[in-house]
Parts: sequence; C-alpha cells; structure tokens
Amino acid sequence: MRFQYILTNTTQGIRRNPLVVASAVLVVFVMLSLVFGAILVRWSINEDLTVWTQGVRVIAYLSDELEGDEVTSLQNQIASWEGVEEVIFFSKSEALEEAREFLASDHPDALAIIEEDPSILPTSLRIKPTEAADYKEIRDRILVMPGVAKVRVAEEAIDKLVKRSQQWSLFAMWIGFVIGAAAVVLIANTIRMAVWARREELAIMKLVGAGNWYVRLPFLLEGFFEGLVGAALAIGVIIVAHQGIIELLQTSLDSEAVELGGVFLWTRSLAVLFFGAAAGVAGAAFGMVGLLRD
Amino acid sequence: MIKLEGVTKVYDDVTVAVKNVTLDIAKGEFVFLVGPSGSGKSTIIRLLLRQEPPTEGEIWVAGKHLNKLPSWKVPLLRRSMGTVFQDFKLLPNKTVYENVAFALEVIGRPKHVIQAQVPQVLRLVDLATKADRMPQQLSGGEQQRVSIARAFVNRPLILFADEPTGNLDPGTSVGIMRLLDRINRTGTTVVMATHDHAIVDAMRRRVVALQRGAVVRDERGGVYQESAAPVASPAEDESGE
Repeated sequence: MRFQYILTNTTQGIRRNPLVVASAVLVVFVMLSLVFGAILVRWSINEDLTVWTQGVRVIAYLSDELEGDEVTSLQNQIASWEGVEEVIFFSKSEALEEAREFLASDHPDALAIIEEDPSILPTSLRIKPTEAADYKEIRDRILVMPGVAKVRVAEEAIDKLVKRSQQWSLFAMWIGFVIGAAAVVLIANTIRMAVWARREELAIMKLVGAGNWYVRLPFLLEGFFEGLVGAALAIGVIIVAHQGIIELLQTSLDSEAVELGGVFLWTRSLAVLFFGAAAGVAGAAFGMVGLLRD
Repeated sequence: MIKLEGVTKVYDDVTVAVKNVTLDIAKGEFVFLVGPSGSGKSTIIRLLLRQEPPTEGEIWVAGKHLNKLPSWKVPLLRRSMGTVFQDFKLLPNKTVYENVAFALEVIGRPKHVIQAQVPQVLRLVDLATKADRMPQQLSGGEQQRVSIARAFVNRPLILFADEPTGNLDPGTSVGIMRLLDRINRTGTTVVMATHDHAIVDAMRRRVVALQRGAVVRDERGGVYQESAAPVASPAEDESGE
C-alpha cells in the first residue's frame, strides 16, 4: 500500500508538471552527453598515447669496443631495472635493415654512404619502459654506463603526448565537475517547484502524521527518474554517434581512429547512468531543503 | 493530556506571541481558547502540534515532552492528534472519500482498514451520501465536516480546531459544534481556538481567555466575555466546588 502510494505520487508529480520534468530531463541529457563526450575524448587521448608509446624505445648506441658477452651483460643489467619492460639488442645488420627502411625513399644519398661501409652503424640496445613517462630516468642511468656511446629518445614527442593527455584529463574532469553541479542545481530547482506546487497537500500530509521519508520519497524518486532518463538519453545518443565523434577528434589530432571497445562503452555507460541517477537524487534532496519543515 | 509550563513564544526576537503560559488540560476535556485576533490562540495550537518550538518553557502532549521530541518522532505524535482549520484545507483534486482516506493512506494504514473506517466516519459527519463529490461541490459547512472527518478518522486522542466556524454562518456553526461535542463525548480531548461569542456562550465549557499572548482567564463552564469573577485556575475552581 505504502510503496504503491509512493509510486502513484511520483508518477502523479511527473504528470502534473510534464514540461518542467521534460526540461530537467533534457538539460540532464545535454549535460551528460557532454560528460560522456569528455570521457570519450579522454579515453581517445589515452588510447592515442598508448599507440604512440608502445613504440617508445630508449636507444642506447654501444661502443664498437664492447665484446659480445659484455653486451649481453649490459643488456641483462638494464633489463633487471625497475621500470624497464624489455631490452632488445640491435646488431649492425639489423641497424642496416632499419636504415634501408627509413632512408631509401627520402635520403638515398645518406643510405648510399652507409651501404658503402655498414660498419659505421653502431650496435644498440632498444629499451622499452613500462611507463612512457619513465624514459628520462632510464636515459640518465644508461648515459653513465661504460660502453654506451650515446643515448637517444623521442623526448619531445613523448613529452608532448604526456602533457596533452594530462591537460585533457584535467579539462574533462573540470567539465564533468561543472556540468555535474549544474545538473544537480537544475534538478533541485525542478523539485523545488514541484514541492512548492504541492505545498498544501504536503502540509496536510505532515499534519496527519505522514513520516518524513514518506513525504520526501516521491520527490527523491522524481529526481532519480529525471536523472536516469536524462542519462539514458545521453548514453543512447553517444552510442549511436560515438564513432563519428572519435573519428572527428582523431582527425583533428592527426592520428588513427580507433574502435571503441564494448566493455569500455558499457562500463562508462553504467557509470554515466549511475551519475545521472545520483545527480537526480542529490538534486531532489537539495531542492527540498527548507521546504518540508514540520 | 496537555501541559504547558511557562511557555513563551517570541518571533524575530521582538514579537511576543505567547507570554509565560501555564496550562493543564485533562484527557477528555473540551477547552475553548478565546481572545481577539493576535492574542496567541493559533500560536498555542501550532506549539502543541510541534509545528514550532517554544522560545521558553516546556510542553507535554499525549505523554510526550515536545521540547525533547526528536523530529523523526513528530509524525508519530501527529498520529495521535487531529487538526481542523478555518479554511478546511481539503485537497481540491480528491473526492470527499479520498480526502478522508488520504489521512489513513499517508500513515500507511492497510486498504481494508481504510475501506472500513472511512465510510464509518463519513456516516458520523452525515456525509455518507456525498462520498463521491468533489470539495467544491459542497457547502462550507459540509466541507468543514469533511475536514473534521479527516481529523477524526484515525481516532485521535486530541482534536485541535483553529477557528473551525470562522467561515461559516451561525446555523452551520451550530451543526459543526454539535459534531465536535459528539467527538468529545467519545473521549477525545478537544481544544478549539475561536472568537465566536455565541458558540462559547452556548457550550459552557472550559474557557481559556488570552490577551496579548498571556492567559487572562481560565474558567470552567465559562462564557466568552470576562465575568466579574477573578482569574481562577481550574484546580482552584474544583477545590472551591
């Protein structure tokens, strides 16, 4: 009886002010679409960074004087460091293959010189850090090792990617925070209007002894419903449009478009749904402050 | 049943609505709170309903010390009270039956209890044949009877009535007073704020007269106008009898 009464009251409240409820749902939808969009942007940047940094190698060019077992020892030593995922030895012949690959079309003259005397190419160790951002530490440790002639890394590109990723994350976080706050305030306002419209009825309810939760629950459910529907609409639109958004984004970032993983999409969808519902309930609770006193 | 001890209510640190009121109302009593507008009648009723806390003093209602009652227990207190207002406070979108049933629904009474009690109380107020009418289809007196039915349907220990005849003509008011008297005879304590001389004079019940927030007279079997007798407490009255 009680549960049915609460549900009836919630649906009545929604039916009584359909335009106000629709406006709240729409704004939650727009806001959560932006939040979900921001999550996708952040994910896309991270994905981009992962693709880039999978190829990140700290390259330690070795002195020609190093013997075979000294090279192996050096390789093993570096591989044992924390933060180092993999160390691959590049022989002179592998270096030549690589030079052919990179220089053949654009710098045939340089390649011709190398081809004349391939021994000028040094052997090297290609070190892959566990985290891309750790390259500096690895570079500094290798630099002082005996037998290492020179160390090279794609520093600028890595720094730029890491920095850009952090900026986007921060931006997305702030967008989420501001939009979330706006959603809560809007729902609070909707519920406040609903409480105000029903103030006579609520006063009577309180006078005849209706419990506090009994009075509040229909409004909390209304807020919950508004948040949930707004979030569901946002998820629907993003699921339909996400590939286009990602492609657009990655075209502007000059990188390859990547497919959005199903698990990623569903877990984030659930999170957005939860956020919408929570924002709705929080907004409703906020909206009732000071209006339902004894 | 009801006890006020040195109760004062001040609004905004300036307006004294109730001043040092001490009052004891026994179970089953019918008490009129009389006095001109602004004398503090309605404020006392609001204090007894725990709609507001007193600035000073202590209040007990139905065995509960209102000063110490946590807000989550207020609904339980209200279930032992019924309230009737001058403007009826009926829900315009509900029928007579639904308005009365509403008081039971919101406190979670089961359907079969509602179906049994609502027709019963509608018969008591003589509105059984108008159960399906909307409030705006009823006369003022009938609307007030619906309001009384709603206040009484849960069989409260105390019924508070704040100017219940204020919007009614004298003939209709007599009918409402008969109804309140009938309810009082079932053992329900009735506290009624009014400035209707004729009703108070006709009923001859306990009269607590207020002026500028203070009790100026407390008299059993009293009338509206101050008698020549000095202010006497019911206890003194009884001892004198």
